[in-house]
Amino acid sequence: MENLVTLWYGSGAYNLTLGQAVMILVGLVLLYLAIAKKFEPLLLVPIGFGGILANIPEAGLAISALDQAIEVARPAVLHQMASALGATLDPLAGQEAWRATLKALVDNGASPDQLRAAKDVATNVGFGDGLLYTFYQVAVASGIAPLIIFMGVGAMTDFGPLLANPRTLFLGAAAQFGIFATLFGAVGMSAMGWMDFSLEQSAAIGIIGGADGPTSIYVSSVLAPELLGAIAVAAYAYMALVPMIQPPIMKLLTTKREREITMTQLRPVSKLEKIVFPLALLMLVALFLPDASPLLGMFCFGNLMRECGVVERLTDTAQNALINIVTIVLGLAVGSRLMAESFLALETLGIMALGMVAFAIGTAAGILMAKLMNVMSKMPINPLIGAAGVSAVPMAARVANKVGLESNPHNFLLMHAMGPNVAGVIGSAVAAGVMIKYLG
Amino acid sequence: MRDFELLEEGLALMGLGMGFVFVFLTVLVITVTLMSLLLRRFAPAPVESAASGVARPAPPAQQDEEVMAVIGVALHRYRQRHRR
Repeated sequence: MENLVTLWYGSGAYNLTLGQAVMILVGLVLLYLAIAKKFEPLLLVPIGFGGILANIPEAGLAISALDQAIEVARPAVLHQMASALGATLDPLAGQEAWRATLKALVDNGASPDQLRAAKDVATNVGFGDGLLYTFYQVAVASGIAPLIIFMGVGAMTDFGPLLANPRTLFLGAAAQFGIFATLFGAVGMSAMGWMDFSLEQSAAIGIIGGADGPTSIYVSSVLAPELLGAIAVAAYAYMALVPMIQPPIMKLLTTKREREITMTQLRPVSKLEKIVFPLALLMLVALFLPDASPLLGMFCFGNLMRECGVVERLTDTAQNALINIVTIVLGLAVGSRLMAESFLALETLGIMALGMVAFAIGTAAGILMAKLMNVMSKMPINPLIGAAGVSAVPMAARVANKVGLESNPHNFLLMHAMGPNVAGVIGSAVAAGVMIKYLG
Repeated sequence: MRDFELLEEGLALMGLGMGFVFVFLTVLVITVTLMSLLLRRFAPAPVESAASGVARPAPPAQQDEEVMAVIGVALHRYRQRHRR
């Protein structure tokens, strides 16, 4: 009988908290969106599944050895840990109170030395870091996974259309207004007292408007790790929604005649130009914005491997096997941040709302910039390709192409839209560098 | 009061960030344009002329006619099937 009771106390059903149950549901919803609705399935499947794993009660997959020991260790171990942390536990209080005291000590107040000692105690009695926690530490907290993905994106990107028409870089720059307007929106919401975002958190939220998953994850792992789960989910969910968010804005801001503008054929770009471009970009980054060099450095490296044509095996690995492996690890690690305490908060709703606004403003700014350039120069630019300035490669370019075809079935804008599209990737990485420089 | 400072700082970051993104990409536009001009002047792409001049012998006329016939039949069938 005694054993049965112990088994029951150790079961998931007994220990499941309401928050965990809700988060498991959130994980299932993400899986549903990914599998049934095809929303960025490559990322939302691992993220959703990671979210479910992270919320299995008592399993502690997403927490460190120390936290795990505090949650489930025997009283003797708790006393040992308390002495390592330089505190004593009140013998009259119950186990639950002891655990709460230890948790508070670990979260704030303990010195690094004490933390290390307590961690040693936990490891000695056999507690280990959870699987997802390890993934998170290795892949995301170190910044490595988003950077490797960025290298893969570089290896997949063709800068030809951009080199043939460099002015489209301005469209990519204009679309980054979404990032900064959202940052200001988040700060404004905090000033009004609706939410409580710090400047760092606002910056990390704003970067959702860059429509670039790895950049968003990188920036929030540097500036606001506590919001990483919500930001990554918002970024990928809205990237999947680009075909629904953008067209109404595009149609609202352009006349039918503007949508029918045909653009001049792009000139062919020589191989040498494509090889020199990543190096030139890298030099500019080195000269003006070293803080963007992790992101743009890896991006240029990937692109150089692609264009130089002598390391095809490396290019192949970077854009296939490696990026796939890292995507799995990154997705699970992001999923591990979907824990009830941090995700089930009003802030998450705020982030979702702001992310949507960020996309909309970025799209609008790109289109308006294209219209402005049309007024200023002779070479015609179809304003629709401005919307592709929010990165989201290649989805945004496809949307521009599709909306263009609706107005004029013979007007293929895809290649023209790829220019601002990849410019948007550079633009959002530059914006990320500025934010990290200013706040990091 | 703190709220006001936060707003002010947000506005500053917005101006600075947007300004920097524009300046950086403008410099990039200039660099890329110059680079393309220089490269095209001093190392004109030999690949294209070779590709258009030598590497593409005219396809035999007979095969051409055959292909045209096949396409014609396919078009005809398609139109018959998808008559509106």
